[in-house]
Amino acid sequence: MITYLEAIREAQAKALADDPRVYIYGQDVGNFGGAFKATKGLAKEYPGRVLDAPISEDAIIGSAIGAAIEGMRPIIEMQFADFSTVGFNQIVNQAATLHWRTNVPCPITIRLPSGGTAGGGPFHSQSMEALYAHYPGLIVMTPATVEDAYSMLLEAVAIDDPVIFCEHKYLYYHLKAEALPTEAVPTGKARIARAGRDATIVTYSAMVHESLACAEELATEGWEIEVIDLRSIKPLDTDTVLASVARTGRLLAVGEAWPWGGVTAEILARVATEGFDLLDAAPMRLNAKDTPVPYHPNLWGTHRPTAKTIAAALRQLLSA
Amino acid sequence: MVQATAAPSVSAEASDTKARFLAGYRWMQLARVSEEKIASLYRGGKITGGVFLSKGQEALSAATGMALRKGDVFAPLIRDQAGRLAFGETLLDGVRTYMGSRLGPMRGRDGNVHRGRPLEGLLPMISHLGAMLPVVAGILLGRRFRGIEGTVGATSLGDGATSTGAFHEGLNLAAVEKLPLVLVVANNQYAYSTPTSRQFVCQDLADKAVGYGVAAHNVDGTDLGACLEVLYRAVEAARTGGGPQLVVASLLRLVGHGEHDDASYVDPKLRDTPLGRDCLLVAEQRILAEGWANSATLRAWQEDAQRQIEEAVTTTMREPLPDPNTEDWCALASRHLSEGSLPA
Amino acid sequence: MPQLGESIAEATVVRLPFAVGDDVQGDAEIIEVETNKATMGVTAPCSGRLAELLAELQHSYPVGTTLGWLEVSEDEAARLGLDVAVPAPADNGHASANPSSTPVPQIAKATVEPTVRGLPVPAHAAGASYLSPRLKARMNELGMHAADLAGVAGSGAAGRVTVEDFEKFISQIEQHRLSPASSMRVAVADAMRRSWTRPLATVGTPVRIDALLAHRKTSNPKPGPALYALRALAVALGENSAPAGRLVGDKIVHPRAIDVGFAVEAEDGVLVPVLRNADKTPLAEMVVRYNELVELARQRRLPPNAQGGSIATVTNFGTFGLEWATPIPLPEQTLVLGMGAGRVVPDWDKGKGVFTPATEAHFTLSFDHRVLDGGGAGRLLQRITALLQEPEKL
Repeated sequence: MITYLEAIREAQAKALADDPRVYIYGQDVGNFGGAFKATKGLAKEYPGRVLDAPISEDAIIGSAIGAAIEGMRPIIEMQFADFSTVGFNQIVNQAATLHWRTNVPCPITIRLPSGGTAGGGPFHSQSMEALYAHYPGLIVMTPATVEDAYSMLLEAVAIDDPVIFCEHKYLYYHLKAEALPTEAVPTGKARIARAGRDATIVTYSAMVHESLACAEELATEGWEIEVIDLRSIKPLDTDTVLASVARTGRLLAVGEAWPWGGVTAEILARVATEGFDLLDAAPMRLNAKDTPVPYHPNLWGTHRPTAKTIAAALRQLLSA
Repeated sequence: MVQATAAPSVSAEASDTKARFLAGYRWMQLARVSEEKIASLYRGGKITGGVFLSKGQEALSAATGMALRKGDVFAPLIRDQAGRLAFGETLLDGVRTYMGSRLGPMRGRDGNVHRGRPLEGLLPMISHLGAMLPVVAGILLGRRFRGIEGTVGATSLGDGATSTGAFHEGLNLAAVEKLPLVLVVANNQYAYSTPTSRQFVCQDLADKAVGYGVAAHNVDGTDLGACLEVLYRAVEAARTGGGPQLVVASLLRLVGHGEHDDASYVDPKLRDTPLGRDCLLVAEQRILAEGWANSATLRAWQEDAQRQIEEAVTTTMREPLPDPNTEDWCALASRHLSEGSLPA
Repeated sequence: MPQLGESIAEATVVRLPFAVGDDVQGDAEIIEVETNKATMGVTAPCSGRLAELLAELQHSYPVGTTLGWLEVSEDEAARLGLDVAVPAPADNGHASANPSSTPVPQIAKATVEPTVRGLPVPAHAAGASYLSPRLKARMNELGMHAADLAGVAGSGAAGRVTVEDFEKFISQIEQHRLSPASSMRVAVADAMRRSWTRPLATVGTPVRIDALLAHRKTSNPKPGPALYALRALAVALGENSAPAGRLVGDKIVHPRAIDVGFAVEAEDGVLVPVLRNADKTPLAEMVVRYNELVELARQRRLPPNAQGGSIATVTNFGTFGLEWATPIPLPEQTLVLGMGAGRVVPDWDKGKGVFTPATEAHFTLSFDHRVLDGGGAGRLLQRITALLQEPEKL
């Protein structure tokens, strides 16, 4: 069995093995193997190519941009997605604009250990995908499976643009697969995680699993819920979403991130503008509450969507 | 890439003081003359957006550009016309970017001082101060990975940028990685209108080098000879394994922050101190005093500079402007991942 | 098993330094576990005796698993607040993370919430009249209107018609003989459907028409009976045009001229020619024009200036032998005056004390109840009745 975290480690090992342009830079990624062990053993296997960086997110990202101009393919680990705000300027103003301004590509991969875990609290739990998706020039990946964690990270390294790779911390150990994949769905294509007839849930990352659990529960009541795993939120596979809504007539978008101007808002906007005539009921969305992510599990468990709250929303949608 | 006629005598072996000084003077003069033309185009409504002049900073900038050589990396800031030219940027690149020509390196997508050719080692600055420092460090890091040795990266900053987090992070990272990076700080006494007393309280910006464990150099930014000496020394030190070098030059910006600014906040007394000297005049006086050239020659050089900038402007004026209808509105290099034009 | 690090789901027991029955001090490391990140000691929450050890060496346990029990003194338990009943832990949510025994918090019952305007909004306010965008799009495709669904019993929430109901309805219809409706039919249907969106009411009264008939007999050319009604309505509205006003939003839109239409049956529909300024034109002067318009309408050749813009309509359903009807006003009008077939009825003559024969017809006035009430409609109808008793003055 291989975990989501091991898949990320294996993808990096393969990238280092296959491509001499790849190096890994980030806090504690060297001999220690990373705060989450995502680079465990890599510094030893690839001497001089997996380096501890000073606690300088701005300079870490900035240096990756420079190295990319020089022809390298850096993989940057932010210790937590939350800390990427310190490097925000380099990501959105330098990396995201470089190709458009100069025609020189900026192939950097920025790994963001994202999302909430019990006890994470306000600064170790954030989901930053919408923030980065807002900026033109960035690719934002949100893998929800072990297979995608592996194949999408490899593709992120190969892509000629800056990729924000949102890997979910909760999935690190909780998600296991039999083996690493040998084939990959192309980036930009969503996956139908579960086929259904009565309503469509569009989601990504850890919320795919909450949604699948919810679909399982509602199946016992005779409802057939379709679950779409977006895989990447930029590009966002609107076609697959619209095709699903055309089949079911009902849409619920679920995200672990905050509601304001986020991915779920984008999904609803696209379906309402491009697929209004497909809708049998007003589309709904479900997000975390509009507060910082709370520390205690009692609060945290209620702050974000869960299989139970998704089911409650779906029942409302199905009766509308 | 080097300008054809500006300083034919400049070459890598221009080591003797006179030849180097004269070459530096001519880059300064070309910068001064070309920027005056740019300012005139701005005041004539031919340029939209800002125009930022280097007056008073040409000596330091020219010395920086000259101390670098082909294959090195340079991330200039807004008052680096002389250094850009000395490093190899053509006048045409500058004029085309200011005027938004479709044929310029930025194709109308970015303008004025935000220009460069990254693959030729000249980085296009973003507006966020200090932000280019980590990028230069990254190029040098990348070269280390690739086994390329003997090249140097330099970037320019002002006194204000030393207050940013990027300055600290970038210089510290460069020090940790022992990169051949030269950081040239032009302390021109004002960050836009803010005096240095509101920017930092250390006695001397060069003192900061101690904290980062890097070498420091002070120089009189109004003295071309001193600038050349210090910059060549700093670049050489970086090139030969001395790690990051912090160069702090003292001078005064003799114009506003941009052409929209009359610099009324500058203390008039400062203009009468040695800081307020015009480096171009100082250089000219030395040339005449040393007998390296006579005033007729200086005048001929000036006319040559004027001819060059006029030619670049005339060329650009006839060139196509960016066209929103044919513009490729795609921000990604990986076109297959573009979502096409989203409804705006 | 405590949460020993972010994202840690489970840990393996690697050392058990204490045996059941041992006394342990508070904060002593009583179980050593290994996570993917590190090896750590699990500490005793308080002092006591190790009563039961559920954890086994080299076994992995998910976070939250009970690894063993400590027996502690009541004082010690009280000191740590362990003597009170522990409230059920809230669901921390992850679908796969929790043992199924975790109590599920009750989701609060959805209640009617006041809106920002302070009014309650029922959850299914739209109810049976709600047509989803998908259903509307499908109906548009087939050129159908909400009224076409009148016969469809919805199976959706609050009785709304779902797309499935609709498709079933369509397939049922297709088993019948279908013929295209004429454009006239479709136009009338459209006008009636739009008119029917308003609360319409009808009042009626029998009217003596002996004087009218006598006047008609002596006139040349003879005015049609409907023209008398039209002229009487026009005169009455000329005196007070308010009943013919239209309600739009919170404004009454008053007529600019008393132009009155009259219904003429044409092939597969009804046309409504208009007589302009009918309040200012004596009956005798309108007869020729009236007859001409009736003829043109039957041929469906009405000139543009004789169509549209009228403020009320007269319809003589008596020509079909009907005594009573409740006509529907045109959608842009508030009033329609109807007239039934005349018949001879016994009339009590008070003076002579005998019944005498009299001719009467029922007149009806249908109106938009938003604009007019029964009283106003009744007074207008009474005035028309009075005017018709003196036809020579019309």
